[in-house]
Amino acid sequence: MRIAGMSACVPKTVEDNLTLAIYKDQNEAQKVITSTGIERHHKVEAGTTASDLTVKAVEDLLQNLGWEPQDVDCFAYVCTSRDYIAPQTACVLQDRLKLRSDCCVFDLPFGCSGWVYGMSIVGSLMSHGTLKRGILVAAETNTQNRNPRDTTVRPLFGDAATATALEYNENDSHPMNFMFGVDGSGFDAVWAPYGGMRNPVTPESLVEKEVSPGVFRRGVDMVVNGMDVFGFAIKQPPRSIKELISTFNIDVETVDLLLLHQANKFIDEKIRKSIKMPPEKTPYCLEEYGNVTSASIPLTMVSRCREQLSEDDKHCIACGFGVGLAWASMEFYAGRINIGNVIEY
Amino acid sequence: MNIQDFIENFAAQFDDTDEALFTAETEFKSLDEWSSLTALSIIAMVDDEYDVIIKGSDILNSNTIQDLFEIVEKQQH
Repeated sequence: MRIAGMSACVPKTVEDNLTLAIYKDQNEAQKVITSTGIERHHKVEAGTTASDLTVKAVEDLLQNLGWEPQDVDCFAYVCTSRDYIAPQTACVLQDRLKLRSDCCVFDLPFGCSGWVYGMSIVGSLMSHGTLKRGILVAAETNTQNRNPRDTTVRPLFGDAATATALEYNENDSHPMNFMFGVDGSGFDAVWAPYGGMRNPVTPESLVEKEVSPGVFRRGVDMVVNGMDVFGFAIKQPPRSIKELISTFNIDVETVDLLLLHQANKFIDEKIRKSIKMPPEKTPYCLEEYGNVTSASIPLTMVSRCREQLSEDDKHCIACGFGVGLAWASMEFYAGRINIGNVIEY
Repeated sequence: MNIQDFIENFAAQFDDTDEALFTAETEFKSLDEWSSLTALSIIAMVDDEYDVIIKGSDILNSNTIQDLFEIVEKQQH
């Protein structure tokens, strides 16, 4: 199993945190930028879905690789901003992308840990050897399920779609190693309380309320309880990466890239330092794109590691962590990847 | 752990507030400079200095620095 290609698509519209009208002045905005490292993010126009961005990213990927849609045996769609409650968005995308009718397609509704989980799931399916070519999408339109008047999330989250092409190769000598984790007691650290079966949509859940000074939300909007997420993020990801390192006897000196979910700079730097990874081996794209949940790790690879990953194999560690609360770490080798430019839609 | 060190570590998370304002009895959430970002710095400081991860509710339920000190002390044992 190897990564053959990668692509990414972001919306054209850029929202700059420094000039966001939700702050009383630029001083306050600058404080948020300094502590999170996030300067701006891309935002879809209302009506554009994660699947729209995905179509652009996948078409670009197929074109760069010289693959036809009918060459694809497996298609996994990591996304929580689905087109419809039913069916799965992957089914809709099978038709839009003209994938074969016997292609193995499915949604994986993961958040920030989704690309790593997706690599494990698609990798395992393909290791059987009957599915030779797979595409793993990680996409999200975070700006659409969060309230624009919620100052605790508006500056942090952005929209993006990424596509990772995987190819089965029986001579491939590099295994992919994984470490998983979950703590469902933290289900309400990042959640949308209304809109599911537990708390269906009611007229009341659509009414915007000031939940704390300057923070407005509806019951159906995503809530991010910053303090709890922060406490989780500085504890579990470092533990998970250390477990990965000890379980699979990884010599950290030989690691070329530490690919972290782009949560915020403060959290990610704590994780990086906890495993003593030098800054030059830890790329960031959050300053430009914000937190794009499951798309964070592949977007970092596309936008920041294109040259490096087009060369010979690099030894990589990736770690995704967030909503669930769920997290996952992986060790893999990646090189000679066909990576396109980040495209805008 | 001792309360004087804790107060000093706590005060170090603020940029503009006079150090003299920090005592065990300081109601920290009433300080002008207090914000959700300061709360994150406090959580990180407690992790670095005391190897304890406090929750959002620990901060919400504390009024004074002494209150938070006691929560951290309890979790250390």
